[in-house]
Amino acid sequence: MGEALRAAVFAVLQAALLLAAAPLLHGVIKKMKAAFQTRQGPPLLQSYYDIAKLLRKEPIRSETTTWVYAAGPRVYFATAVAATTLVPVFVTAAPLEAVGGILLLVGTLALGRFALASAALDTGSPFGGMGSSREMTIAALAEPALMLGLFASALAAGSLNLGTLVRGLAEQGPSLHPSDLLGFASLFIILIAESGRVPVDNPATHLELTMIHEAMVLEYAGPDLALVEWASALKELLYLTLLADLFAPIGIATTLTPATALIAVTAWSMKVFLFAFGVTLVESTNAKLRLFRVPELVATSLGLGFLALAIRFL
Amino acid sequence: MTRDVLILCAAGMLVSAYLMVGQKALFTAIRLYAVQSLLLGTVAITMAIADRRDELFVMAALTITLKSALIPWFLMRVIDRIGIHREIEPFLNVPASLLVCLGLTAVGYRVSTGFPEGTQGVTHHLVGVALSMLLIGLFLMVTRKKAVTQILALLTVENAVFLVALGITSGMPLVVELGISFDVILAVLMLGILVHRIVDRFESMDVSRLSKLKG
Repeated sequence: MGEALRAAVFAVLQAALLLAAAPLLHGVIKKMKAAFQTRQGPPLLQSYYDIAKLLRKEPIRSETTTWVYAAGPRVYFATAVAATTLVPVFVTAAPLEAVGGILLLVGTLALGRFALASAALDTGSPFGGMGSSREMTIAALAEPALMLGLFASALAAGSLNLGTLVRGLAEQGPSLHPSDLLGFASLFIILIAESGRVPVDNPATHLELTMIHEAMVLEYAGPDLALVEWASALKELLYLTLLADLFAPIGIATTLTPATALIAVTAWSMKVFLFAFGVTLVESTNAKLRLFRVPELVATSLGLGFLALAIRFL
Repeated sequence: MTRDVLILCAAGMLVSAYLMVGQKALFTAIRLYAVQSLLLGTVAITMAIADRRDELFVMAALTITLKSALIPWFLMRVIDRIGIHREIEPFLNVPASLLVCLGLTAVGYRVSTGFPEGTQGVTHHLVGVALSMLLIGLFLMVTRKKAVTQILALLTVENAVFLVALGITSGMPLVVELGISFDVILAVLMLGILVHRIVDRFESMDVSRLSKLKG
């Protein structure tokens, strides 16, 4: 019983920490992007203000919608929070690693996406349906690519469980294999596709011809919208953390003492910041792809992921 | 340390070759080639330091200045002058090309174990990556229609050959390498002029039009 209680407390703590940090990540990326365009940009904490403001508002829902519409953001938020408990962040153990590994993580995220896509269809507005159809088109390719990229790392460490996997990688020490770089490239493209960043989607506009994620959540207002935005930020932070875990397990704590914990938190924020900088760089130097070219980009990622896996056997 | 840098660079070259296959904007393809050459130069420098072979430094310097600066700059100028920036639909679409390239990489890696040096450690990866890139370069040359992309494919093949040489014998003699380098420059210059001529005559860079009669 004590074991289960400890895991639960650990899970709640880690999820709360990531939830608190997620809007800051969006703020940092917006600020860096603004710096690239020699603008001043919104204040770092703007995302917090936005979420707080939206949460205080009265929820307004269309009369034609059913419970599916109200459930969408809640399931999306819940799955994003649940996913954080499956990933090691500061310590080489995931809070709920006894429950499942990579497949559960991918499945949980897919459930959230499914809930949001069906909620968007529920409104009956053409934008919602268009957004869901686009999101699902990309997801159909991005999901297998995500799995292949994660499998390539799993093969190196010999376990599908993310906790065991990261422990294995940390013990192995830095030993590079070509598959690491291929897997990293593959997962980086997936990160950009899944978090709706520029070559795939533009989070800053509501242009009807190009938007994907924004089209899906166009009908939401107030607390519903706050949940969606918060969950999206959390998902992005989760993907960045995964990249840091799998490809740069430096500084992650193997035992929990105040000193190692401090190092782990610093190392984690540095790594996430570095990857976020990479994302900003890609976003600032590339033009958005035409919608029908997006599957080609994601297919490239799928190819790289498959190669990362295959090259281990060659 | 040496091992990690070598593997990182070799894998980076393979990734850049793949991105080139999945890419249609010519400028990006040229930038990818520049990055690939820079990585090749890094491989040469790392080997020079590890094996204490000074002539490799010369080769690395030559690779970096020529292939990652001069040739890309020249090709970008050619494209600017012609004003054509995108590859048209290739003979094989991108997902299919990627699938073929996956197969080619598997073949390249498999074949690399045939070399006595290529069975273990870093050499296995260097030679495997190089042979895969060689096959991908040949494949690109066959399936793309734009003359500039074909030049880039040829240059990729040349990079791959250099990488094989580095992997197996840790570099060809300096004289041979110098000869190859100047050959490459001349080839690129002449191909650049040829592209101009093709565009002049046919108002397109599409080489598949060359087989049509022009009256």
